[in-house]
Amino acid sequence: MEAVKNKTYVEDVNRSIYDIKDKVNASYKASRGLTSGIVNSISLEKNDPAWMREFRQQSLKIYKELEVPVWGPSLEGLNMEDIVTYVRPNTKMQLKWEEVPEDIKNTFERLGIPQAERTSLAGVGAQYDSEVVYHNVREEVKSLGVIYTDMESAVREYEDMVKEHFMKLVTPRDHKFAALHGAVWSGGSFVYVPPGVSVEIPLQSYFRLNAPGAGQFEHTLIIVDKGASLHFIEGCSAPKYNVANLHAGCVELFVREGARLRYSTIENWSKNMFNLNTKRASVEKNGTMEWVSGSFGSRVSYLYPMSILKGENAKMEYTGITFAGNGQTLDTGVKVVHAAKNTSSHMSSKSISKDGGCSTFRSAVVMGTEADGAKCAVSCESLMLDSESRSDTIPVMDIRNDNVDIGHEAKIGRISDDTIFYLMSRGLSEADARAMIVSGFAEPIAKELPLEYALEMNQLIRLEMEGSIG
Amino acid sequence: MILELKEANKLPMKTFRWLGVNELKVLREIPDIKPFEKIEAEGIGVKELVVTRNNTFPYEKMPLTGMGEEAAEFIHQNKNQEMTITVPKGRKVKEPVFIRYSLTKENPALAEEVCIFAEEDSEITLVVIYEGEEEANAFHGGLFYLKAAKASVINLVQVQLLPDTGFHFGNIGAEAEENGCIRITQCELGGGYAISGICGELKGDGSELNVDTIYFGDRERILDFNYVANHYGKNSKSDMRVNGALSGTSKKIFRGTIDFKRGASGSEGAEGEYTLLFDKNIKNVSVPLILCGEENVSGKHAANSGRLEEEKLFYMMSRGLSEEEAKKMMLEAWFHPAVQNIPSEEIREKVSEYVNRRLSHVKSL
Repeated sequence: MEAVKNKTYVEDVNRSIYDIKDKVNASYKASRGLTSGIVNSISLEKNDPAWMREFRQQSLKIYKELEVPVWGPSLEGLNMEDIVTYVRPNTKMQLKWEEVPEDIKNTFERLGIPQAERTSLAGVGAQYDSEVVYHNVREEVKSLGVIYTDMESAVREYEDMVKEHFMKLVTPRDHKFAALHGAVWSGGSFVYVPPGVSVEIPLQSYFRLNAPGAGQFEHTLIIVDKGASLHFIEGCSAPKYNVANLHAGCVELFVREGARLRYSTIENWSKNMFNLNTKRASVEKNGTMEWVSGSFGSRVSYLYPMSILKGENAKMEYTGITFAGNGQTLDTGVKVVHAAKNTSSHMSSKSISKDGGCSTFRSAVVMGTEADGAKCAVSCESLMLDSESRSDTIPVMDIRNDNVDIGHEAKIGRISDDTIFYLMSRGLSEADARAMIVSGFAEPIAKELPLEYALEMNQLIRLEMEGSIG
Repeated sequence: MILELKEANKLPMKTFRWLGVNELKVLREIPDIKPFEKIEAEGIGVKELVVTRNNTFPYEKMPLTGMGEEAAEFIHQNKNQEMTITVPKGRKVKEPVFIRYSLTKENPALAEEVCIFAEEDSEITLVVIYEGEEEANAFHGGLFYLKAAKASVINLVQVQLLPDTGFHFGNIGAEAEENGCIRITQCELGGGYAISGICGELKGDGSELNVDTIYFGDRERILDFNYVANHYGKNSKSDMRVNGALSGTSKKIFRGTIDFKRGASGSEGAEGEYTLLFDKNIKNVSVPLILCGEENVSGKHAANSGRLEEEKLFYMMSRGLSEEEAKKMMLEAWFHPAVQNIPSEEIREKVSEYVNRRLSHVKSL
């Protein structure tokens, strides 16, 4: 008879600080559902210019035409008729934390945002439900000509620049939830880094959804001009409710010639959240786009940051980790289009599934006829911690040029008993050996994160070990 | 007659629609399927085998096939050749069985349904060759059902050398019981349009599926593959190795799936796909899936594509070979893993000649 083995126990992500709910105190809340009247009332509430009002209505039409994606995880339980698409918190955007209402400020304090701003960030935007409640950027960064503001202000103050770029990379025709975003977007950040300016310390936007049954549809638009560089961090969380919440944000990144942008995300939505986010970057000649992505929360996620390498020598790197626990279906991955000579991309993905969680790595690599000399390497590793869970890998490579070099590797498996034995033979306890293996598995991602996030991730993947080998 | 397949070679788990890889749609005019006569068989008379020319196996009990139900149903309804080979318990047939089909202007359409049942502890090797005349505008559609009972071995080698005007599809459903082993070698070298699907159901503990495939896409050739290994049994193994080359404006899509079902503990699956690219206007699509519902398994896949390695080429030329000779030799080496599985010197040579003939069209050589 086969000996019963005690299994490694990896705790669920500790959500206590994320799950504290504030009483909903909104100054304006749209009705549930999605109609032309609701979209119009959002326009009026936000004082949209005429072109944006028209854009929203056009997007709504497209939303009605398009069908729900049939290729990904089930969206059962998400009913747009039940979702409130706009909740304006009872405060204006403030430039000082002291002026942010006490309950909202306390929430962000618990999440460590003001503290991080003081110690390690060049600017912070904090969104609460549908609008940004705090936005500030250090004077020395501002003096370099860097613009970092909320999208609502940007539509008014930098209208031409916004109009030229807004939903041009991700159009409402992209998919149903991009159209939904076009119709009801609110909040988000706008960043412009002028040519040659290097922003040495990161900017961060944090998105907090508090209202039950609400949607968050923030729009992030970043333009890093020629030869400039920026590290932008995005964090998101929400407390858990019994009703479905929806996040359908949109991120559009323009990396100009010779520019560099690192976009780091730690996503920790609650397990009632449908996270249907769209992120895309356009990278010009000699530009570099780096994605660092940690997906821990949400009930269902569809998240595949895409890079279009449109200029010669443009580069993309993706480093991502996904941790799917009980009740979670996290469908994440990456897409890249090589559309110019000597472009290169490197993708490294890790996923951990436990307690019935389902993680899927989905990727698309397209190398066009104009991608002479392009190179691409994809590496994907999955760790299954029990047989209640699932882990799927679904990569696609579409090559239309002979002068390219493309490699793909994927591995799936569990913690090997041999490795544990080896480490134990070197003097480690079994628990320490297992902890070391799992930490080692996540380490390549952790080292790409800013220190405070790496610590948070380690806390998120807290391990409790017990038992012995069979 | 019209052949319409709305959802063939379906990916077991769908992905982004804009990539167009989730399934294959086929709508083609094919020659009418009439009684087929151009068949040569060698070895089916041996006494260890029970061969019947009428399939008695109930179609509804067929396992899943790689191309799917529509393709299976089409052959089942329209077949002009059918055969069941049963290898009785304990019989290990040493000599391979050969079947050769020649598609001609008079006999341009072949729709075959073949069942191979290897009973407990038995073994068989079946080699099937498809050839044809250029002017035949040939159609070949195949439905193979392979069942390997406990500790039995089935070797199936298919060599497809149809002319450019030919349209070919091969659809295989394979099932292996405890320690049963199924080995499939496919040389998909001919036909202007070739489709292949294999689904291996590894039901028994310790069962195995091994697939070795080579293909060569030149000119406007289209190749579409869908291989699936479903692991149910404990300690089951699958290994799929696909080596191909593309030139001209040829297009290839390879879908390969290793699916570890819950309970298949101790199982291992590996998939390797390597493509040599000779021309700028090719289209090479790879979709290697690993689906996993069991913790204690090991699955890996690797895919690589690119030009012939220049360093190797340079080395061979420095040893006195011309560039063309060196390239041909490297391509032969590329195809070697599958070609060596053909248990006949004559057929191996035929394959080599066929490839060399095709290579003469490749401009970059």
